Amino acid sequence: MAERNATTPSMLRQQQAPVYLRWLLRIYAFYLKEVNEIRRQPLLILSLIGGPLLVLIVFGASFTGSNPILRTALVLPPDGLQGISEEQLRSLAGLNFQLLDITTDRASVEAKLAAGELDVIQVLPSNIFDSLQRGETPQIEFLSNAIDPMLEGWIQYLAYAEVNEVNKAILTQQTTEAQQEATSIKIQIADMRGTIEQLEGDLTRAEQARIQENISNFRKSLAEMQTQLPNQGMHGQIDIAELRADITRLDKNLAEIEQAISDGEIQQRLNEIRLAQQDLDELDGYIQIFIDTPPDVVVAPMRQSYLNIRGSAYSAVVFYAPGVLALLIQHTAITLGALALVRERRMGAFEVFRVAPVNMIQLLIGKYLGYILFIGLSAATLIVLLRLIGIPLHGSLILFVALLLLLTLASLGVGFLISTVSGSDSQAIQLAMITLLLAIFFSGLFISLDSFATPALFVSAIIPMSHGVSGLQDLMLRGLAPHPQVWIGLSAISLISFLLVVLITRRQFQRA
Amino acid sequence: MTQPYSRPNTIESQNVDLIFAPGAGVFDLTYTVPEGSILGMIGPSGCGKTTTVRLALGLYTPQRGSLNVFNRPPSTFRASDREMIGYIPQQFVLYPNLTVSENAAFVASLYGMRGSAIKQRLDELLAFTDLTEASNRLASQLSGGMQRRLMLTCALMHNPHLLFADEPTAGIDPVLRGRFWEYFRQLRDEGRTLFVTTQYVGEAAYCDYVAVMRKGRLLAVDTPEALRRRVLGGEIIHMTLEDPSRVPEALELLRRYEHVQHADLLPNTNNQLQVTVEDAGEWMPEVLNLLEDPTGPGIVVSSAEEFHISYDDVFIKLMEQEEAANG
Repeated sequence: MAERNATTPSMLRQQQAPVYLRWLLRIYAFYLKEVNEIRRQPLLILSLIGGPLLVLIVFGASFTGSNPILRTALVLPPDGLQGISEEQLRSLAGLNFQLLDITTDRASVEAKLAAGELDVIQVLPSNIFDSLQRGETPQIEFLSNAIDPMLEGWIQYLAYAEVNEVNKAILTQQTTEAQQEATSIKIQIADMRGTIEQLEGDLTRAEQARIQENISNFRKSLAEMQTQLPNQGMHGQIDIAELRADITRLDKNLAEIEQAISDGEIQQRLNEIRLAQQDLDELDGYIQIFIDTPPDVVVAPMRQSYLNIRGSAYSAVVFYAPGVLALLIQHTAITLGALALVRERRMGAFEVFRVAPVNMIQLLIGKYLGYILFIGLSAATLIVLLRLIGIPLHGSLILFVALLLLLTLASLGVGFLISTVSGSDSQAIQLAMITLLLAIFFSGLFISLDSFATPALFVSAIIPMSHGVSGLQDLMLRGLAPHPQVWIGLSAISLISFLLVVLITRRQFQRA
Repeated sequence: MTQPYSRPNTIESQNVDLIFAPGAGVFDLTYTVPEGSILGMIGPSGCGKTTTVRLALGLYTPQRGSLNVFNRPPSTFRASDREMIGYIPQQFVLYPNLTVSENAAFVASLYGMRGSAIKQRLDELLAFTDLTEASNRLASQLSGGMQRRLMLTCALMHNPHLLFADEPTAGIDPVLRGRFWEYFRQLRDEGRTLFVTTQYVGEAAYCDYVAVMRKGRLLAVDTPEALRRRVLGGEIIHMTLEDPSRVPEALELLRRYEHVQHADLLPNTNNQLQVTVEDAGEWMPEVLNLLEDPTGPGIVVSSAEEFHISYDDVFIKLMEQEEAANG
């Protein structure tokens, strides 16, 4: 055995720090212990910093947009679609419906849909224009076999958009035909105006009969035009519904004139004849406007205009970067915190701490400080790397650091809370993973909080990352100070979790 | 209890009970540990040794009786009291990802030691426990024996007056066990008080006081020699007579002698006697004179020596006596 120069107790008393300093030294002991333990795990550090950055870069490099491409088959009616080419069909289907098959065999494509070889089947009705003329509403049937609710939502939305486009195309075609008919009507109106003027003079019976026939033919043309007018639409002074009302009123006046001619009461009905002349003038004006208006404008009179006042939105990788940063900080802090106490409790260290002149507050503060240092260094490294790939920080650096610190404190609190209720390392890790899942679903990073019912908002409010994402996006991407709710939320989580950890750990400490 | 030291008691326990469940716990614990001595608590696994240590550390509170450590109930220890106590728990509770030095420095900091003092103390203690060369090795890379020595180092970093060691020699080889007891006796010689529990009955020989525990009760607390005497009713001398025919005469003489408590022929022999006296060292010459007196019986004793019963046997006999006493 080695020789030993024994140090006397009195010598050691002199080497001990003053009482007030011992309190801080004990905190420092826990702090240094945590830092030393973590720095011995380079793989952990690498995975915690490099992992999220790598995921972000791969995501940014590969993300092409959120619209799905749907493998689609088009089922035509047995007699085919007259007058529509395959090219037109593809154009109508749009880019998201990738037409893999155009067939009349519905059963075969339904089998493919069931086997997962197709995402969507569109079944087109037969005789679309005949049905429309009969006043029926033809229907395009969309079939899917989706299991993903998001995908199903997309299919329903894209189906709605496609049907809108089809309706617009049909209306445009109808309008074009109606405008052609209106051109001939316009000529007839000019003739009819002269014809009606003749009624004010003396006419032979034969001349009256010819006029009556002209009026009858003109009314037939008006009726024809009525059927060809689009069902809806408005542009400037032209309102299809108003035009229809004018035609109806003119038709009624002309019918009365016809009746007057038949009854030999033309002189008594001169008033109606003048009204009909006014109607003809009005109709002529409307028809001129109708003819001059492009068909697509008649069908879709409103157009949209969009301006992003900051130029354009960020790319997906930039937009998600603050969220990834918040996720990294929360997950690292929760994982470290979750393992912090459970390990020491299980290995029996609490018993040693109870024998020593330390208290649980010193233990917790020391651990908080150790983890904050490590997470701070990890976050700083990640932020530098994020800056290198072009992620901006438009807001105040001081607020940014303060927000990260508060997010770390709140997340550590949640982690320590997990640690106090976990019976083993694996249980703590499992609970940390559940927290991660909760954060992914309820933090608002990937799914908007507007999509959830009110109780879910409470869940969101107790997740540090929810506040972190909101605050970091405002600071980094908009250059705005985080909303007061962010500070209040994170402070409340930090404080409440710390108090709960103190209460629970004190009990465990006393039972050690 | 025999008191070889006239020093104040560091630990005083009087009729202490702590009952977890009927028949489970410790009962009527009465013992003292004088300052600067080693109390070895011996007993089988689960007999209540750790509970006794935890009571003295203030981790448990007695339900009955009085317990004082440094003249104060452990449940009322102040930080300054705790700074005088070192503790080696049964299992390894240090940190595998820290080096030997870092583990020791961590524990020292818990006791409020400054960095410069830690370094000086660490050098001393690593040399004391032969861990100097392993100072930068991770605790996870140490052998079981080295881990035990590291725990001893950590427990001594703040130079405690009172050291509790709960089965520090469990599961380690006999050579290392011997070294541990050398460490303990050296610490005792420096004036420290040690409370050591062990399952190894033979280690009683290293202690100043031995407390024998069974089923939560102390069967005996005394010095090792006093315990041995208590079991045997005194000390034993084995002697061989040259002439077997003179055995009856020798036995009769010995039984009549006032300082001989007991005399018998050893089983399966025809000339070997077992003689019980209060103190073998003191009475062996008198006994030999009694038999060999040329003016008296003149019985020739060819050999005589003090018989040392092992502590295992002492322990077994104590058990047997306790069972006999309790029916």
